[in-house]
Amino acid sequence: MKVKRSFYHYLTIGAVLLYLIVPLLGTLIYSFSTQWHKTILPEGLTFQWYKELFGDSVFLKAMGRSLILSFGATVLSLVIMVPTIFSIVMYAPRLEKFIQSLIVMTYAMPGVIIAVGLIRAYSNSGISMVVVTVGAYFVGILPYMYQGTRNSLRNIHAVSLMEAAEILGAGQFTAFMKVILPNIMTGILVSSLLSFSILFGEFVLVNLLIGGSFETIQVFLYKKLNVSGHIASAIVVCYFILICILSVVIVKVTRSKKGTV
Amino acid sequence: MTYVTIEKINKAFKGQTVLHDINLSLKQGEFVTLLGPSGCGKTTLLRILAGLIDPEHGVIKIEGKDVTKLKAKDRQIGMVFQSYALFPNMTVAENIAFGLKMKKLDKAAIQKKVARMVELTGLSGKENSYPRELSGGQQQRVALARSIVTGPKVLLLDEPLSALDAQIRKNLQKQLRAIQKELNMTTVLVTHDQEEAMAVSDRIYILNEGYIAQSGTPHEIYTKPVNEFVARFIGNYNVFNGEELSLLTQGTEFPHKLYAVRPEAFSSQMIDNYLEIIGKVDKVMMLGNVTRYELFSKGVSVTAEHLHKSNEDIQEGTLKTLYIDKKDVIPLA
Repeated sequence: MKVKRSFYHYLTIGAVLLYLIVPLLGTLIYSFSTQWHKTILPEGLTFQWYKELFGDSVFLKAMGRSLILSFGATVLSLVIMVPTIFSIVMYAPRLEKFIQSLIVMTYAMPGVIIAVGLIRAYSNSGISMVVVTVGAYFVGILPYMYQGTRNSLRNIHAVSLMEAAEILGAGQFTAFMKVILPNIMTGILVSSLLSFSILFGEFVLVNLLIGGSFETIQVFLYKKLNVSGHIASAIVVCYFILICILSVVIVKVTRSKKGTV
Repeated sequence: MTYVTIEKINKAFKGQTVLHDINLSLKQGEFVTLLGPSGCGKTTLLRILAGLIDPEHGVIKIEGKDVTKLKAKDRQIGMVFQSYALFPNMTVAENIAFGLKMKKLDKAAIQKKVARMVELTGLSGKENSYPRELSGGQQQRVALARSIVTGPKVLLLDEPLSALDAQIRKNLQKQLRAIQKELNMTTVLVTHDQEEAMAVSDRIYILNEGYIAQSGTPHEIYTKPVNEFVARFIGNYNVFNGEELSLLTQGTEFPHKLYAVRPEAFSSQMIDNYLEIIGKVDKVMMLGNVTRYELFSKGVSVTAEHLHKSNEDIQEGTLKTLYIDKKDVIPLA
């Protein structure tokens, strides 16, 4: 009975893994194939599409722009939102309702509506639409940063830790830097990675707000879809590898934080 | 000489007063316990003393100096929290050293003091462990070491033993009291456990609904409860009204409204001039060294306790006569 149950267990897990891996594997093989239209397996393998991709300065620039936009918005959120959420959770928990309604609003607004609203509001304001996009991204990742930071603060009983540190003679800033921050770092890094990944793959806002003038990897990918499926696949593989590297880095960093809860 | 004074401390949350003009004093080196049920205001009073909450009005003095407006970090107070609040990212030694680092002591002095605390609290060998690697009792001792290493003027303990199992709790009570005496540390303990309060305190303040119901030594509190609340809270006191007692004792006059009688004050042995109560034994409970049972007599239930003796068999449903000295029938306010 036990063996049977474990067989079904593995079967289910295997099916889910297959469902998740097959598209990725297909994309990976397609990005290395010379031609793959009428045969079960590719007709040949090649690095040609990667050579073309990395030889294209537009691709590298687009990648750089995407990194700058996503990284910029994530760092901005870290610098502004983490201390803000900390202050709210610690000293003004009544304001949490306000933040929560803001979060619901970010989910409720479709990207197209946000984009149209932002274009109407800022297109003639003199503010660069790149800055506007970063601002929109900042709001867009608010739910992830808020949940991650707040949950981490609650998990470590931040209020008690702050009180203990203050009674031991630490000022609020010192207590935050030496006691709170190291203990919520794991949660913050995970939220940041999640936010970064979401922003890196975001298409609607970036395409509508700055698509033509500030071509990012998503816009580049969209254009290449109509030119070559092989190159588009190579872009997806590159994107996936980048996210994998980031994930590994985050996991390594979080695991090396000894003693954290 | 008074070392810590709390004068007319008043505190309200959302318009509801939780502390009503509390006055309290501590001598240097004294171990005082704030005892009371949940919601009586004892933790609020402790947090006001620590500087974590501001009172509506009132004054707190330590060594004669008004500290009411001082921040927690400037009050020179040590505190052990109910949840211990150990810093998870720091080892035992780093946790203990934290307060000394904040005082900017040099490295050698910090190491020396930490080593002494580790020894005093029996944490040798655990210096490099993280809090999550320690048992509840060990975590509690780290919290204690961390709070006393800086040499605070007053040590505050917020139900520090409540999360531990009975055996460890009793051992730690002894250790806590021994360390407190060795360092002559003025200490305030908050607890709802009357046995714990009795075991460790020089003096007990019993709080009820934001008022001090009674204060005194453990002996005074236990043997002379002043009102019904204290009598019921402090032990398994029987509380009777005058009429019930008259009925139980065949017409003896009891002019006060309420009386308290300790369950162990009843004797099974006949003693001259003692009052006599005859009733039917019910609900016998064996509590280790003590046997507790109820005696029903004339519609009144009496709880009695006797040290367990092998030659005395108390059977449910049998008739039994108990004797009580009138001096042990305490009139209540």
